[in-house]
Amino acid sequence: MLNTIRYYLRLYLLFTKFAYRTVLQARLGILFFMGAKLVRFAFFFFFILIIFGRKSNFGGYTFNQAILFYLTFNVIDTAAQVLFREVYRFRPMVLSGTFDLILLKPHHPFIRILLGGGDILDLSLLFPYLLLALFFAFKITSITFLSLASYFILIGNGLLIATSFHIIVLALGILTTEVDHTIMIYRDMTIMGRFPFDIYKEPLRGVFTFIIPIGIMMSFPPYALFGLLSPFSYLLSFVISSLLFFGSLKLWDYALKKYQSWGG
Amino acid sequence: MKKYFAIFSLTVKEYFVYRLNFILWRVRVFINLLILFFLWSSVFEKNPQFGSYSKDSMLSYIIYANIISNFVLGTRTPEIAGYINDGKIINDLLKPVSFFTYYFTRDLADKAVNMFFFFFELALIVLLFHPNIHLPKNIFFGIIFLINGVLISYFANLLLSFIGFWTTEVWSPRFLFMMLLFFVTGSYFPLDLLPAPIFYLLSLTPFPYFFYLPTKVLLTNITAQQFGTVSIYQLAFFSFLWVFITWYLAKFAWVKGNKSFSFWGR
Repeated sequence: MLNTIRYYLRLYLLFTKFAYRTVLQARLGILFFMGAKLVRFAFFFFFILIIFGRKSNFGGYTFNQAILFYLTFNVIDTAAQVLFREVYRFRPMVLSGTFDLILLKPHHPFIRILLGGGDILDLSLLFPYLLLALFFAFKITSITFLSLASYFILIGNGLLIATSFHIIVLALGILTTEVDHTIMIYRDMTIMGRFPFDIYKEPLRGVFTFIIPIGIMMSFPPYALFGLLSPFSYLLSFVISSLLFFGSLKLWDYALKKYQSWGG
Repeated sequence: MKKYFAIFSLTVKEYFVYRLNFILWRVRVFINLLILFFLWSSVFEKNPQFGSYSKDSMLSYIIYANIISNFVLGTRTPEIAGYINDGKIINDLLKPVSFFTYYFTRDLADKAVNMFFFFFELALIVLLFHPNIHLPKNIFFGIIFLINGVLISYFANLLLSFIGFWTTEVWSPRFLFMMLLFFVTGSYFPLDLLPAPIFYLLSLTPFPYFFYLPTKVLLTNITAQQFGTVSIYQLAFFSFLWVFITWYLAKFAWVKGNKSFSFWGR
């Protein structure tokens, strides 16, 4: 077991090193990408300032609390991109037949197609987001060690949901050869997580909490930090994320059985 | 003219070759509009006013801005950069048509498809939210700003694609442009909600002319032609100026790029 973990860790580091070297080839691109990502971060920060600054306690949240929702979204979203960037490059692998070669390798394909392209640019943004999130978290007086621990556990749970969504995108990529729009639909839906989820009305809130659990993924960690989650909500979030994860693995198995090697 | 109709028709048909791709693209457009509506509806749930906007005027702005942005921003020009990089551009250069008109026709086809489906999506939104939509008040100036917005967007997009003549790193400048476009053109909120100095600084850039000003002008009464301390005529002058600047830069980059362009066999 330990040897297997060591083997996959070595493979992951190797693929990540390759991915970083590829990114470093385009130096001008790094500058533009980082600039664009910072523009996006600054814009939404400003947007939240406009909405929550003008309207004190909009949705029952102060500006500091609203920013914490936004920063938590950034932490989860960026961590998912650091880990799963390779998913965005899956379609050409299916179309060209390269995916066949990956399936023939003696390791699990996820190490290559899911985790095999770590994003160094997003990694450099992840830590500032995390530090900012902690900075705003400690500005809220009701924070305890337990609420902070719950916050990080639910961020982990959010990442499990993100993993499931990325596996679903890969499976749909095999079944339909369509990846670009499905991954962007996932990204579009997560946009809602930039704001506290209770500002949305039903049925949207229900759908995006229980069916497509963006709310559990993005808003539950800050809820836990503010002490707003009941024990039942914790249980519900873990049950839903586990169901989604196992469901995504089932879909992946189904897609592999249907795979007919499109490319080549 | 007949050849441009053929280009228009072929471009429309291209969308229906990859049907799933097309459907998913429309789903994305709908989701984005839905999120925006839910967000602003929530903002106005307890407070009837936000800045100078009532719920009706804000939702009207969102609807008109989305209609106009779908029209203005619909473009096929990003593919040009790839064609320059892999040499396929030579196929377009050999055609007996003006390159600028050829791509403008393709853009018009893209806009037509966009608009056709967007109206169905909008109808769904109207059914869901029952917004009290304001009627357009300043159609003449609105159309002038809209045409200028289309042209500024087209030339700016061409210019970005022509970067491909000098570098293969064509996607990252466009990504930065898209981010700027998304945030400072007024797609999330009307730009006049920004502090006045930022708003006036922005009005010196081409961004508000893409679709914020066409929308705002369309929804503003003809008797209220002042936008803060700036008149509608001054803004119209700036929009024509930006059409000229972007056209000149695109033309300049095209000529220079063609001179420096070389390719190896096909």
